[in-house]
Amino acid sequence: MEKELIRLADIAMQFDGEEVLRSINLTVRDKEFVTLLGPSGCGKTTTLRIIGGFETPTSGEVYFDGECITNLPPYKRKVNTIFQRYALFPHLNVFENVAFGLRIQKLPEEEIRSRVLEMLALVNLKGYERRSTDALSGGQQQRVAIARALVCRPRLLLLDEPLGALDLRLRKDMQAELKRIQQQLGITFVYVTHDQEEALAMSDTVVVMDKGRIQQIGTPEDIYNEPQNAFVADFIGESNIIDGIMHEDRLVEFCGRKFACLDGGFEKRENVDVVIRPEDIDIIPYQNGHIKGTVTSVTFKGVHYEFIIDVDGFKWMVQSTDYRELGSEVAFIIEPDAIHIMKKSEYSGMFGDYSTYSEAYDRDIREFDGEEPQEEKQYEAEE
Amino acid sequence: MKRRNNVFKLLLSGPYLIWMAIFVLVPMGMVLYFALTDPDTGRFTLDNLMGIEEFLPVFGESVWLAAVSALLCIVIAYPVAYVIAKAAPSRQRVLILLVMLPMCMSFLLRTLAWVALLEDTGILNRLLGSLGIGPLKLIRTRGAVILGMVYNYLPYMIMPLYSVLTKLDRRLIEAAEDLGCSGTQVFFKVILPLSAPGIISGTTMVFVPAVSTFYISKKLGSSGTALIGDLIESQFKQSYNPNLGAAMSLVLMVMIFICMGIMNRFAGQDEVSRI
Ligand SMILES: Nc1ncnc2c1ncn2[C@@H]1O[C@H](COP(=O)(O)OP(=O)(O)O)[C@@H](O)[C@H]1O
Ligand SMILES: [Mg+2]
Repeated sequence: MEKELIRLADIAMQFDGEEVLRSINLTVRDKEFVTLLGPSGCGKTTTLRIIGGFETPTSGEVYFDGECITNLPPYKRKVNTIFQRYALFPHLNVFENVAFGLRIQKLPEEEIRSRVLEMLALVNLKGYERRSTDALSGGQQQRVAIARALVCRPRLLLLDEPLGALDLRLRKDMQAELKRIQQQLGITFVYVTHDQEEALAMSDTVVVMDKGRIQQIGTPEDIYNEPQNAFVADFIGESNIIDGIMHEDRLVEFCGRKFACLDGGFEKRENVDVVIRPEDIDIIPYQNGHIKGTVTSVTFKGVHYEFIIDVDGFKWMVQSTDYRELGSEVAFIIEPDAIHIMKKSEYSGMFGDYSTYSEAYDRDIREFDGEEPQEEKQYEAEE
Repeated sequence: MKRRNNVFKLLLSGPYLIWMAIFVLVPMGMVLYFALTDPDTGRFTLDNLMGIEEFLPVFGESVWLAAVSALLCIVIAYPVAYVIAKAAPSRQRVLILLVMLPMCMSFLLRTLAWVALLEDTGILNRLLGSLGIGPLKLIRTRGAVILGMVYNYLPYMIMPLYSVLTKLDRRLIEAAEDLGCSGTQVFFKVILPLSAPGIISGTTMVFVPAVSTFYISKKLGSSGTALIGDLIESQFKQSYNPNLGAAMSLVLMVMIFICMGIMNRFAGQDEVSRI
């Protein structure tokens, strides 16, 4: 395991008395790809700006390589940033934008030239040196911003929703490209996004945030399979979250039945939240099932169908490749390894019932709108 | 669709185009006509333009004083505009109002006020006298003319600089800091180059009226150093020779165009080469 590179110790941040971050504790290891994931307004950008030195936390300390840098100005930090919407210098061409940091370091012209050209090649922008930055597509501007930051060979690169303004196809390509660059150069990334798929696909470690607090830190698999509370379970993928009672280790009761499960370590008869992912539920013939209900909605999703199934008033989401008719009576079984038990939290009861399915959908849309994604027409044939 | 759009545009811009034609193109044509005709016979001649030669030092002096004034305006206006642009929005409005306030007073009055201040027996000299200094020769000097120009035209420099500086993207400054710029480096590498458009338009707005002014130099300058504006004025008043006056105007206009061209060229070098 690599050693610690950056550490946030009990950071709190207030703007005009309004609390934006609270008790943020986070350690980032050398060469790690860490993603801050959370809905718009949860404090991701603020956290990143504190690491970059653009904000000073109200309390708490920032350590870099073991050294306290809480009050160090940005230009003295060995950190570079890729800003939301790039912030390229409009008065400089592509080459000079990338060369900017090196010129500040007063490196010899020859070295600047070779390093800039090497970096432009790395981000597939060979031949664009003399272009004006506003003559570039969003994806190309993005890559100039990446090259401009990386050419300085930072120990740590901060990226604030770098792909937010790109269309889906380009975003996927750039995800892979960023990951490749990160591994090739061995640089530590702290990456901000509100897109959970992006976070799961790229990161070594995901930090889920909400309301200015860290909800969970873990590998993408941990976060998905072992969410710590209803917020995380709902934000990462789809989840049915049901009230349950833990009878003893590996035995939980919900929907009026007892189920075997793999979790333990709870009080006797402790109230818990039970998470069951829609894809882990098997639909079976009606008479054999543990849980019985009526199909109230069917959506074809390509790989599978998505059913909403009403079980005594609680609506479950179930994904299955087998078709069931709308209104048909179905049953399903839940295997022990499909059940995940969480402690009750402030989020209990707020998520995981698909009765309000359309509203939940609306909320996702609003969150997305909050980020004002710039719709950009990409020029075809990027390369 | 496109066609209708064009008709619409023409209708909207029509009154202005007519205005321009009557009050700009026609007078320019007349200037050209007078400049190139003989006062007595009305025939085509280059004599008027040739006659300007003896006044060339005056042209030089005018351009020199206007250029110095414009430069001083930049030096004074930049920090002022910067401070205003950095102030809280509510305070910005007040400060801008203060900058504009002198412009509400008559240009003539403002210049006369300086006469009262700078005269040999003026307020300043009396004040200095009571301290046992002077009297100093303040008025009827080049310095007084430059002072008058800077004072009168300073707001025209502050406004475009202010507007450029308020529009400056804060994230560009942060990006520069991120890439290792200290405060002064941020200023010279990012803020100053990006305010070039404001400097250019401010310089234009100061230089052009300053180079052709006649009132300031008449009131604050010495009789020996008349400026080109004074010369032109006198061609139409005292030594009535509108043809020579027109020729001078024409040359002045060409000179201004050349100066502007050179300046834009300078600024263009910093800009991205647009292929
Ligand atoms: N400079 C600031 N002044 C006041 N409030 C701010 C400032 N920056 C951010 N905030 C507030 O802090 C909260 C978190 O913002 P931010 O860190 O940008 O969230 P995210 O990047 O996760 O969308 C928001 O409610 C935002 O309005
Ligand atoms: Mg943000």
